[in-house]
Parts: sequence; C-alpha cells; structure tokens
Amino acid sequence: MIRTSLPTRFLPFFSNASQRNEGRRLRTGLLVVAAAVLAVLLANTTQAQDKNMKKMLMQLQEMNQADGYLEAHRDVENPPELLGGPLSFAVEQNSGGVLVGLPDQRELDSDVFGTPEMPLAFTGTPGVTGVPVPFREVENGQFTQLDRPTPFGNKSTAMPSGSMMLKAQDVTATDAATTEDQVKFKASWEDKQGNTYAVRCCEMLSAAGPEFPTFGGVVTNHLLHGFSGVGTPLMPTEYTYAAFWGMGAVLKNGEVVDKPRVVHGMLTEYVRTEGYELASDSEVTPTRKHFHLMVAPFMPVKGEHKFEHNNVSTGFQLPNGKELPFWHVMFENLNIESQRGE
Amino acid sequence: MSLLWPTRIGRLAPQFLGSAGLLVLWMGALATPAVAQTSEEPAVTIGMTNTLSFTKDTVRVEVGETVRWENSSVIVHTVTADSEEATMEESMRLPEGAAPFHSGNLAPDETFEYTFETPGRYRYFCVPHEAAMRATVIVEPAGKG
Repeated sequence: MIRTSLPTRFLPFFSNASQRNEGRRLRTGLLVVAAAVLAVLLANTTQAQDKNMKKMLMQLQEMNQADGYLEAHRDVENPPELLGGPLSFAVEQNSGGVLVGLPDQRELDSDVFGTPEMPLAFTGTPGVTGVPVPFREVENGQFTQLDRPTPFGNKSTAMPSGSMMLKAQDVTATDAATTEDQVKFKASWEDKQGNTYAVRCCEMLSAAGPEFPTFGGVVTNHLLHGFSGVGTPLMPTEYTYAAFWGMGAVLKNGEVVDKPRVVHGMLTEYVRTEGYELASDSEVTPTRKHFHLMVAPFMPVKGEHKFEHNNVSTGFQLPNGKELPFWHVMFENLNIESQRGE
Repeated sequence: MSLLWPTRIGRLAPQFLGSAGLLVLWMGALATPAVAQTSEEPAVTIGMTNTLSFTKDTVRVEVGETVRWENSSVIVHTVTADSEEATMEESMRLPEGAAPFHSGNLAPDETFEYTFETPGRYRYFCVPHEAAMRATVIVEPAGKG
C-alpha cells in the first residue's frame, strides 16, 4: 500500500519552520523513492508474468494434438481421392443482406471446453485450435466466457447488398503435399455509406493444414469446429456440408486492401439462435443451413506449422473508431447444388 | 414449388379475371411474390428486422381482417405457415381447416399481406431463419372486438 504522508511518529523531529520544510522535502523524497521501487517491482512482476504467459502459449502451440496426423500426411505426393469419387458443388446468394460478426466474448460450452477441474480444448495457437485456460472466466466452478473478444460471439450487424458465389470440387481426400481440389469464390456486401467490401479466393488452396487438417483444401460432409479439433473450438461443433481453406484477397471499393489472407468458407447446419446468438452444441439446428465466410486475424508462420496473430485490414470502421480486424460474414439466403463427378 | 399467393387474391381472382388474366397475374405473382394485394387497410402491420425477429410477437385480429408484413430489414425474410416449408414441428401451427400460406422471399422493403378467414391460432416463421424467427397471429370470430 502506498502512503500519502509520513507516519505521525516522524513528526516530533520537525518542530520549527525550517525543520518542517526539511521534513516536507524528506517526505517527498521518500515518497518518490517508494514509488520508484514499487514501479520497478510491478514492472518486474508484469515482465515475469508476460514471460511466463509467452512460455505457456509456446508450450500450448507445441502440444497441438493434430501435429502427428499432419506430419504423416503433409508430404504425401499422390493423395487418395474421396471415397465414391469427386464431389462438385455450388453455393450462391444472389441478393439480400448479410450478417457480419462483431468482436465479442464467446460463451464457453462445457461440452467443448470441459470444466476448470477437467478442461478441454486448450492446446494449439489460442483462438485457432485451442483456448488457454487462463483466458477463460470462471463462475460457480464452471467456465462462463472468454475474457477477451474474438470473431466468435453473439454480436453482429446486418449489412445490405450481399452476394456470394462458391464453385468447388472436393477431389482429394486427405491433407497432402498436393491437391486436386478446386475453389472459385467471391463475395461482396455494402455498408450504410455505400462502401463495398469483397473477398476473393483462392489463388492457392491449403493442401495441408498448418495446425489442423484441411483435407486438400476442400472438405465435404464432415464435422468441423467445437470438439472436432478441425478449426477453432469457439464455433460450435457443426455438421459441415462443404468447406474450404485457401489464400485470397480482401477488397474495399474494388481495391485490394489485404493480400494474401487465409480465407475459410463453410456451408453448415444452422448455428445461430434467437437474437442471432451463436449456438452452443445443444442449440444447433440440424435442418437449416447457412454459409460462413471467415477471414481470421491469423496467418501461418512461414516454415513453421503454426499460426500467429495478424489483424486483417478490412477497411470497415467499428463504432469505437477502430478497424474491424476480421471478416466473419454469414449468408443465409442460399441456392445450393451438388453432384458426384467433376 | 409452392404457390406464392395471398389467400385474398386467390379467393377473389376468378370473379373478375379471365384465364389469360389469371395466367398473367400468376406469373406476376411468381416474379414479385410479395406485393401488397388488398385495397383495405390492414388491421395490423408487422415489421421484419435485421435482428431476425418479427416486430410483434403476437397479434390479434378478427376473421376477415388483413395483416401486413413489411420487410424493414436489409435481410431477405419470408412469412410462412406451410408444413412443406417447415423443418421443425414447433415452427408453425394452423387452426383446423385453415389454408397454409407462404410469402416467398421478401426482399428489403417488400411487403406481404394475408387475410385470415379461419379463426384460431396461427404460428408462422421465416424460412431461412426458422431456428430463431417465429411469431403468432390469433384470429378471433368477427364482431368480437
């Protein structure tokens, strides 16, 4: 505790004016010294905490559970085809609006994240494949929510003039060194001021995932997110009819504002509830579908099999004046076609 | 494909339209499924929002009265009480003898009107947002109010 005046036992030593001035100077000096010592102690403590946190996060990245699987697959030059042969599909929204996810603190589902006594889903790069336990808030012996905002939460805003087109083929079954999967994707929407935002993909597909499987870049009919270990657990576990990961570009008013970026799209069962809140696993609606576009604030680290935080330049300003550091956009008025064969 | 047709027009059309006119009107209904079709003022107007809700959770009207829905959002919505469009049992309910209805896609600013002829409780929903966007119309016998 910092005292703002000296203890009264010092006072008898400074009985006249000169002595009182001396006393004031001494008190001031002592306070300055005390404050400096405290600042150094706090800085050292903070540095030590930061160092420990960095060490823990590095350890969590090294503990990534998919590393073994990916190691066995990422150098395969002739990967197998999908059972039953290639699957081609197209997903389109021709008009209408979109719902854009805003930064929010995700509620933590015990089915995915366990309990403070028995935590789950904590390894890998935070936010990408796991959520470190110290980032989780606890109440009454249960995890409640993440202690920081992410792209995965209940907050969203509707934006007009949304359209998207995805044409893709799932040919290659597994992660590998090469892929025959194909993706053509473009999406755009507007803000109230008439600015147009767009995302295009994919100049290159993620034939093998750095931290979790990407199945040649396109996957069909698979579980993603939640407890699946494929993608962030901050999204609920969701049956995914089709998904892709690749490198693309982010545009504003026709100009590229960020490139290359990891672009992820997926057609899933419906994972929103009343008020457009993000569902927990038990709240998912299996009989409806929607399409999610994600340009996440992460980039793969060159030469390493992990991600690092890297905000997206979206050009879209949030009400607090800051730039939205990701795109998480939902399209819900869809035409879907699919067929076996290329 | 379900017929995109407000009940009131379906009931009145044969009285003043020939078959050619009917065809034109029917094709027009397919192209623009959600235009206000009644001359009477609706008893109630319900908005459809960007936060995926109908602005009135429950409304009461009398038999023969019309409800208007306005898509005041930037999102495409529908007004639907048709078991062929529903994937969840709790999404819709019709009184015994009542005909199903479905607006088709309502683009921003489009409206849909429906005149209720059978008393009872109607539970309806929005097709793309079925999981979250539902509401109720209670139709009472005429003259009750």
